Amino acid sequence: MEYLIHLAILISIWSMLAMSLNLILGYTGLLSITHAAFFGIGAYATAISMTVYDINFFLSILIGILVAGVVALLFGLILARFKGDIYALATFGLNIIIFSIFLNWQEVTRGPLGIPGIGRPEIFDFVFKSNLYFLILVSVFAFLIYLISEYIVKSSFGRVLQAIREKESTIQVFGYRTHFFKLTIFVISACIAAVAGSFFASYITFIDPSTFSLNESIFILAIVILGGLANNKGVFVGTVFLIMLPEILRFVGFPTDIAAQMRQVVYGLLLVGLMMYRPQGLLGKFKL
Amino acid sequence: MESIIPQLIINSIIAGSIYSLVTLGFNLIFGTTRFVNLTHGVVAAIGGYGTFAMLELFDQDIFVSILFGIIVAAFIGWLSEKLIYRPMRKNKSSSTVLLVASLGLFTALQAVIAIIFSSEFKTLSKNIDSIKVYEIFGGIITEVQIIILCTAILIMVSLGLMMKFTKLGKAIKAISDDEEVAKIVGINTNKIIAKVFIIGSAIAGVAGIAIGFDTGIEPTMGMSLLFKGVIAMIIGGIGNVYGGVAGAFLLGFVENFGIWKISGEWKDTIAFVVLLLFLVIRPGGIFNKKK
Repeated sequence: MEYLIHLAILISIWSMLAMSLNLILGYTGLLSITHAAFFGIGAYATAISMTVYDINFFLSILIGILVAGVVALLFGLILARFKGDIYALATFGLNIIIFSIFLNWQEVTRGPLGIPGIGRPEIFDFVFKSNLYFLILVSVFAFLIYLISEYIVKSSFGRVLQAIREKESTIQVFGYRTHFFKLTIFVISACIAAVAGSFFASYITFIDPSTFSLNESIFILAIVILGGLANNKGVFVGTVFLIMLPEILRFVGFPTDIAAQMRQVVYGLLLVGLMMYRPQGLLGKFKL
Repeated sequence: MESIIPQLIINSIIAGSIYSLVTLGFNLIFGTTRFVNLTHGVVAAIGGYGTFAMLELFDQDIFVSILFGIIVAAFIGWLSEKLIYRPMRKNKSSSTVLLVASLGLFTALQAVIAIIFSSEFKTLSKNIDSIKVYEIFGGIITEVQIIILCTAILIMVSLGLMMKFTKLGKAIKAISDDEEVAKIVGINTNKIIAKVFIIGSAIAGVAGIAIGFDTGIEPTMGMSLLFKGVIAMIIGGIGNVYGGVAGAFLLGFVENFGIWKISGEWKDTIAFVVLLLFLVIRPGGIFNKKK
């Protein structure tokens, strides 16, 4: 039972990440390969706030959102002018750089040593100590994020995003400043990823840079593409499938380090296969 | 006090020549297929590991090993084109779809290397102490680095000549200009693109082997090479072969002079700042041929 709760928590956290990436990739049609960076910013914000400054978990979520939002805004100002290959390659670069900052800015992040002893959420003297309580909290947040992103994509703002996806120059003719829309959705998406990071840090209680490398971004990308672009329910299916996958590999009996590499091989090839035979994923409503 | 500048210049040139080898293949493949082949980074690593396997595991002669490394890299490049990218082009997949597929293949191959050879850092130079060292204007350059530099120049010159004077070179140019028209005048585009993959991947393999002898190899080396290659490519203007080389050397100089005053682990960050500057000021690349 404890094991199932553990899996459910991971699924909740990664479905937040996948839903936020879906806002950019599925609904706006921009290939962003940098989600692990904002995931990491949220995680580090919570880790540092809670261990060094003794700040409450819920407040640390806000700090994470703020930092991720500012980074996304600054980078997005440049990024929003582009689409297609350059957009993808620039976000790819951003992930590598933020990873290297986690690794090298040792005064703040403790570099490869990581940050241990991160606490559980606490409110009005109630601590979400058991995994069951934590699961309830994180799934409530994941559901909130689901509602928020559904609201965004069904609003008039969201319809403009989908118009940008179909043909950016057409919607520009109607007088929409598409840069503004692309920038806004990038920032929103980064903030949501940071929330997932805060929960991850608090749940695992220890973080180090290795979790937030480019490979993690590719993993999130695989979830969204497998589950279905522009379909949040599909994305949930994708998350469940890809989170369970390494567990299956473990039951088959690979040693841990090989299993970690095997996981990469599997989702790497999965991406190749999907691109060859089903670019819209299982339940997708949009084809890359 | 001795000046550090000659050493910085030497380091910049060596870095620039390795980056330009990676970028050359990148741009050649982009020119003919119109997609950014991210697998290219791991192909370079495969070159390094192919050589390592022959040298260390099968105890072969150094030249046989290098040749083997290049052939393996070229073979993997060709195979990826034949099994994955060609069918996708036939389906009229968008360039983003191909890019995602190449990213997936990159991840998978990188993990395969780590499974076979472990994640440890390895070097191809057996006796580091016996490597000859030369001094130029107070800067130190190793024998390996001189060979790297000469090889890079040789490759660039012969590639330039090939593009200008051979039938293959002209066919490549024709496909870059317009694939449909090239087909109409009777160019077998698939055959030419396969050759481009073989040449580009072989050059990437050389870059991987060069790094293996100069510093060392690890499974994730493809990632950092890819990072530099991508930046050099954007700086030079995507698809512009000469621009890519210029971008590679510019990047080599900026990052090596950049760490003059700040510590070395920020090299990548400096490279990224250069990229951002170019995206703001000159998104079309140094020569700004197209936007």
